[in-house]
Amino acid sequence: MPNQKLLVSSHAPYWHNGSSISGKNYSIMLAALPAVGMGIYQYGMPALGVLAFSVSCAMIWELIMNLVMRRPVSIGDGNAAVIGLLFGMLLPATTPWWMVLVGTFIAIVVGKQIYGGMGCNPFNPSLVGIAIVMLSWKNYLNFNAALVNYDLGFYMVYPLAAVKHLGTSALSNYSISGLIFGQQTGGVGTTFGLGLIIGGLYLILRGHIRWEISLSFLVGVFMTAYLFNIADPDKYAGPMFHIFTGYTLFGAFFLLTEDSSSPVNFIPMLIYGAAAGFLTVLIRNIGAFVDGAVFAILMMNVANPLLDKIRPKAFGRGIEHA
Amino acid sequence: MEVKIEQIIAYALGIILFVVGIVCYAAFPVETPEEPIRIMFKSTAGNILFDHKVHAGEAGYGIGCSDCHHNLEDEGDTPPACGECHEVDGEDPIKRSDAFHQNCQGCHEDEGAGPVECSACHVR
Repeated sequence: MPNQKLLVSSHAPYWHNGSSISGKNYSIMLAALPAVGMGIYQYGMPALGVLAFSVSCAMIWELIMNLVMRRPVSIGDGNAAVIGLLFGMLLPATTPWWMVLVGTFIAIVVGKQIYGGMGCNPFNPSLVGIAIVMLSWKNYLNFNAALVNYDLGFYMVYPLAAVKHLGTSALSNYSISGLIFGQQTGGVGTTFGLGLIIGGLYLILRGHIRWEISLSFLVGVFMTAYLFNIADPDKYAGPMFHIFTGYTLFGAFFLLTEDSSSPVNFIPMLIYGAAAGFLTVLIRNIGAFVDGAVFAILMMNVANPLLDKIRPKAFGRGIEHA
Repeated sequence: MEVKIEQIIAYALGIILFVVGIVCYAAFPVETPEEPIRIMFKSTAGNILFDHKVHAGEAGYGIGCSDCHHNLEDEGDTPPACGECHEVDGEDPIKRSDAFHQNCQGCHEDEGAGPVECSACHVR
């Protein structure tokens, strides 16, 4: 190998670069703001209520668990607030308060604290919360039923439900540009595609999330949706529709990239993202659920430790019986 | 010291958002419009999302209230619930599904507009 320096190190003393866990978590909340702002603009005060209550309840559950388990108070690191915010963004604006309370309990206590807190959770805590709430009270998470009293000036049928039940004949009611600018029903903070992309790019540029995961997820969704689409164009929507609807973009930048439930090596990250994208479209197109992102990401969270077994080859040569 | 400041910020944020959340839930519930926009009819054969505004609105099909809701004293009155007259044990019981099929499907067939296949309305 030529004189290329792979690793340069210097002697102590070292200087901390100023990055912190709280800084990262507040950056994630900042990145979510464009999508959150659009959600509040569209659905008004009820949306603000869901988000504010979700964040505060998550922090309260975290504090209670700290006290019960006699651990140092950890709400200052912002992780509970992020979990609460992401959970709230997945919900419709009409979610009752008790569901937010139960959902944040599941996310914080069952999804995170019983495993030992931040960094030890095998699943994305927000997704554990939303998955259990979705299975327990599915009518509240049915966006068509939940948002019947809203008229925002565009076609108010949940796009994924429309295509799943009526086929691609329903596509004429939507335009890709409309979907990007939030002209679709869905969770409070998951419909504004442009805002989610801006937030995601900000997190990637700051180094808080890995582009490999987000990109491979979107490629996985694109390729799978494309294959379904060319197999039966009357039944299955095209790739761009799947990318800009449902939880796809939110999942790509905010859910799939959660630290402790995602791989750290390059190849595993690509497999993890692409497989989650593949499963998302598979569940959407031939599964029982309208949006497969939640269960697809949870399934890949389970596979994460196995994927991280694929490691880069160690430098040097092993000598037997040395 | 920094951790202490972070905790104080978190406590403040938590309290403020908790109050904002409670105020929003208590003072700004989701408003139910006087005239429905969309109605989700629950059915074992698959729920039906009915767009009331498209059917009744001037910008939509402009169907009058009394074309679907009978026994209205004045156009625009809130229609009585079916069960108020059609009692289960009464002389004139009618199944809700029969009434809706007759009204919806019948009108779609008469007008030659709107879906008549089961799966076009009933979605699972």
